[in-house]
Amino acid sequence: MLLHRKSPKKQVSPGMRRRFLWPLSFLLLSFLLMILPLEGVVASVKAVLAYVFIPQVRLAHGTAKYAENVHQTVRELLDAHRENRALKQEIEMTKLLASQAEAILDENGRLTEILHLNPAKRWTGVWAKVAYREPTQWNTVIIDKGSRDGIRERSAVISMEQGKEGLAGVVVEVTENTSKVLLVRDEDFSAAVYLERGQEEGLLVGNGPRPVRIKYIPLLTRVEKGDKVFTAATSSIFPAGILVGEVSGVRENEDFQTALTVHVEPLVHSASVKEVFVILDGGRK
Amino acid sequence: MWSFAKLVFLFVLATVFHWAFASIFSYWGLSVNILLAFAAAFCAVLKPAFGYPVAFICGLFLDFFGTKLFGNNAFTFTVCACIVYGLSERFDFEAVFPQVVTVFGLVFLAGVLNSLLFLWFTSAAMWPGFWGLLGGALISAFFAPAVFWLVRRTLGKGAVCRQG
Repeated sequence: MLLHRKSPKKQVSPGMRRRFLWPLSFLLLSFLLMILPLEGVVASVKAVLAYVFIPQVRLAHGTAKYAENVHQTVRELLDAHRENRALKQEIEMTKLLASQAEAILDENGRLTEILHLNPAKRWTGVWAKVAYREPTQWNTVIIDKGSRDGIRERSAVISMEQGKEGLAGVVVEVTENTSKVLLVRDEDFSAAVYLERGQEEGLLVGNGPRPVRIKYIPLLTRVEKGDKVFTAATSSIFPAGILVGEVSGVRENEDFQTALTVHVEPLVHSASVKEVFVILDGGRK
Repeated sequence: MWSFAKLVFLFVLATVFHWAFASIFSYWGLSVNILLAFAAAFCAVLKPAFGYPVAFICGLFLDFFGTKLFGNNAFTFTVCACIVYGLSERFDFEAVFPQVVTVFGLVFLAGVLNSLLFLWFTSAAMWPGFWGLLGGALISAFFAPAVFWLVRRTLGKGAVCRQG
């Protein structure tokens, strides 16, 4: 006799049921969201979610943006570090050049003495900042140094432009702490200058908004655009050899012309003057 | 209550990380899915009653930005949660290797599944590219141990956790 043993019926525990219920319900819900049209219920769900997620998105976006800025700041710091190293090297080179220049100057002084030549001038003076600029008169500026710093009337003023020093103007009024500087473009400004090419001298005069002119250049002088103009040694105010600017044109074909009038583009622009160097004691050491 | 607050905090943190990583790596065309790594870590630590909803909400967060289809990420994340709960019976998710392998596989699978769902429901392709997906999965896997550590460390053995 065969005994048939009844196999026990598989019992599904509540825990097991719950284990499948969770994923199944979420899968069904997400599937439902996918098949529903985006305009109706889904749009409403999104609108509700916007209240929860938008502040979070803002926070996330802000943090990511901040992280990006950190990255940029780090890059800038690295660039600054690299630049700093390069500048340090440049400073070392400049120091070396300065010491070489000092040696050359000493040698030059000795030779000048032996050959009984007129010694070259070395500029001494003070740096000053442009403190005020007349809104109506762009051809004069007030600087923050005055008689207390040794500035006198008719002191020559130079400024740096494109890494070169150029003639900026002349001191016309001095108070204890400030000075007024007449810039090269002013109509009242004049200086003895010479052209680099032929060494011909003339009188540089300001011309307001129009180009600065050099008068009294001999008629047959060969002048070309781009020729450099320097202050002449015959000037009573300015030390010789200060770069004024470049020739921008020559006025020609005028009747009864006895001398050339040369137009000059000054190196130092009136509007861009921010710091100036005032040469004291006529540039003599 | 405290565990729930920590869970919300972690969710917010996960979205912030996801946003940051997605923004950074999208420059190289990599579809990194840090939120999925977080979802996997949640499922490895939390009880199913909390793990599935959290994974679903993580997916819903990504769906929120979609314009053509809604619910595909929620579906994908729920599938991934199922996989993590299935694997947690065989793997020890406290070790680094299973974490890395699981996240790598899940991110790749999620990318493929999402693309298929997109193709099925909208007839439009949303394939991020094989190398983009592979690279994204690798990067997500690289950060997986840190994510798992953070989730485990923050949630500890709270009431919502499996070891609680």
